[in-house]
Amino acid sequence: MPSVSRAALAIAGKDIAIEWRTKTAIISGLVFAILVLAILYFSRDPTEVSDLAIAPGTLWVTFTFAAMLGLNRAFLLERERRAMDGLLLTPAPRSAIFWGKFLGNLMFVGTIEAVSLPLFVLFYNVPLWDKLPQLILVIAMATIAFVAVGTLLSAMVVRTRHAELMLPLLLLPFLVPPLVGGVQLTASLLNNRPLSEVWGWLKLIGAFDIAFVTVAALLFEVILDE
Amino acid sequence: MNRRDSAIRLARSGRIVTMLSLVLLAGIYVRALVFTPIERTQGAAQKIFYVHVPSAWCAFLAFGVCGLLGIAYLWLKDRRMDLLASSSAEVGIAFGVIILTTGPIWGKPIWGHWWTWDARLTSTLFLFLLFVGYLVLRGVVTDPDLRARFSAVIGIMGLVLIPFIHLTVYLFRTAHPMPIVLKPSAPSLPNVMLVTLLLSFGVFTLLYVGFLMQRYALAILRDVREEELANAA
Amino acid sequence: MTSAPASTPPADLVLSARDISRRFGYRRVLNTVSLELYRGQVLLLVGANGAGKTTLLRVLAGLLRPSQGTVTRSAAVGLVAHDAMLYDALSAYENLAFFQRLHGGKDPARIRALLDQVGLADRADDRVGTFSRGMVQRVAIARALLAEPTLLLLDEPLTGLDERTTRIVLDVLTGLRDAGTAMMVVSHQPTDFLGVATHIARISKGGLAVPEPFTTASTTAPLTYDGA
Repeated sequence: MPSVSRAALAIAGKDIAIEWRTKTAIISGLVFAILVLAILYFSRDPTEVSDLAIAPGTLWVTFTFAAMLGLNRAFLLERERRAMDGLLLTPAPRSAIFWGKFLGNLMFVGTIEAVSLPLFVLFYNVPLWDKLPQLILVIAMATIAFVAVGTLLSAMVVRTRHAELMLPLLLLPFLVPPLVGGVQLTASLLNNRPLSEVWGWLKLIGAFDIAFVTVAALLFEVILDE
Repeated sequence: MNRRDSAIRLARSGRIVTMLSLVLLAGIYVRALVFTPIERTQGAAQKIFYVHVPSAWCAFLAFGVCGLLGIAYLWLKDRRMDLLASSSAEVGIAFGVIILTTGPIWGKPIWGHWWTWDARLTSTLFLFLLFVGYLVLRGVVTDPDLRARFSAVIGIMGLVLIPFIHLTVYLFRTAHPMPIVLKPSAPSLPNVMLVTLLLSFGVFTLLYVGFLMQRYALAILRDVREEELANAA
Repeated sequence: MTSAPASTPPADLVLSARDISRRFGYRRVLNTVSLELYRGQVLLLVGANGAGKTTLLRVLAGLLRPSQGTVTRSAAVGLVAHDAMLYDALSAYENLAFFQRLHGGKDPARIRALLDQVGLADRADDRVGTFSRGMVQRVAIARALLAEPTLLLLDEPLTGLDERTTRIVLDVLTGLRDAGTAMMVVSHQPTDFLGVATHIARISKGGLAVPEPFTTASTTAPLTYDGA
């Protein structure tokens, strides 16, 4: 029987390999990101709202939508030919399925974010390069939050009717704390404030990460059972 | 006594509790409107506070109970926990509607707009939406055991989410006056108002219990009917 | 209890299911099903749609937990279900390699041997998404055989297969039977399994009748069934 980490890495690796080969989610995620960034750029009065003012919110809305696309896709993969049952028939530990999917989703969402960020800098003329390390830290922490809850919820809804509707409906309330935190932190960084000023938000997202990764990992097996 | 009869008795008791609390609620209104002084800065409109705050408490109580029952269900696998949890969620949504409508009614005369992104309203809104999602999820899952398990998961996650939503809104600047009673330091309401508020809390909690009893009785009756249909087939 | 020859030693017992019940809400889908399978036995399971065949198979495979009762399996179980449980974007070889890793091993030679056994050696590196129904089914069978199961469960394995593929699959199953693998096959066309199956049993409204030996007579005469 394989260990949790071996099995999880196998599963994550499989997801990445499939995505690498088909590139459907990455391409649609990317196109989606460009569209959202562009639309939000034009949907305001430029004399009233500066690029810098709208930038943080736009970035995070883009990340959120792209993440939801990816999360749904990750589980639709398993639904196609009921491959999930195939996973359950192996002696691999069930928790490995969660960790494998979690890692795979992190990679995937992270990739979309990595590609969207330069586009964002391009479209919105934001001076971000000197704050890049801090920004990446914030993005990473919030992404862990999205993906932990998203992995659990997408596993749940993939077995229901209207999965594409149920996922955003259930997921969005959970995204509020990391999303708001992310926007506040990004705004603060872009306005050249030190991170120490918004320490509260960092702690919030950090605590959220710990709480929800734990809860999601524990509850995942509950939803797998039949 | 079989399940159907005990459910009907529960519904009857629930109706009595509800009616009692509605009568008491009328008493609270009288006390609030006539016997409690008008607040200096906000005027008569502040009195909606006595309805708004306890409703918020009830909504969070309902969702919290739902989450706790979710844990109980996963542990004990007792279907009744699931029925009680979903009943509590529905009652919570009813209270949520009360807050989300009375909030704006309060806000308009004081701040001039219907909606403000203040602490209580915003927290309630997100939890409300989550539990609407909870009910929609229950609607699309046909297998009762799967439905109970999924509901328990969402309920538990919602329970964990509540403090984070509060914290988020707290950190974010708000236009709502700081919760007068629930400030970390001693409550700064004058005694008369405090008593009215506490009485209101009690009555609303009683109202929650009354609603819950009736809704749960209905859930049991439906379950009994399902059992009969299945056995007849 | 199955009508196995009295001289079969218990060491050959591959599967033992006792009083399996499974509910869906309040509805009973399986009703105190008991069953024993021995090495080299191929049990054909027939019954009307909705009688509980697929549910029983999934419980025996371990995908569904019974509401009551116990299932004891001697070793690995393979399942060939309605759906192939494969990834379209990966090749036949990659699919098998992935599932093999989840079984804890890494044995390329075995994968090649299995693909050869089902007649897909030349298509090993093509994506499963490009395969016909017959080819997908054969990869699914190969996947089920990865862990060298002593028990193979098949849910309507011949549905939608052309003659040639049907022949290949039946040959594979016959070979497995002769090597001692026990099998349980759900099928709507018992005649397809003449010469392969050893026993037949009918399931009706969640209850399983006593299995009988499967002969040409079984397919024409009405089966006795003591109901559930």
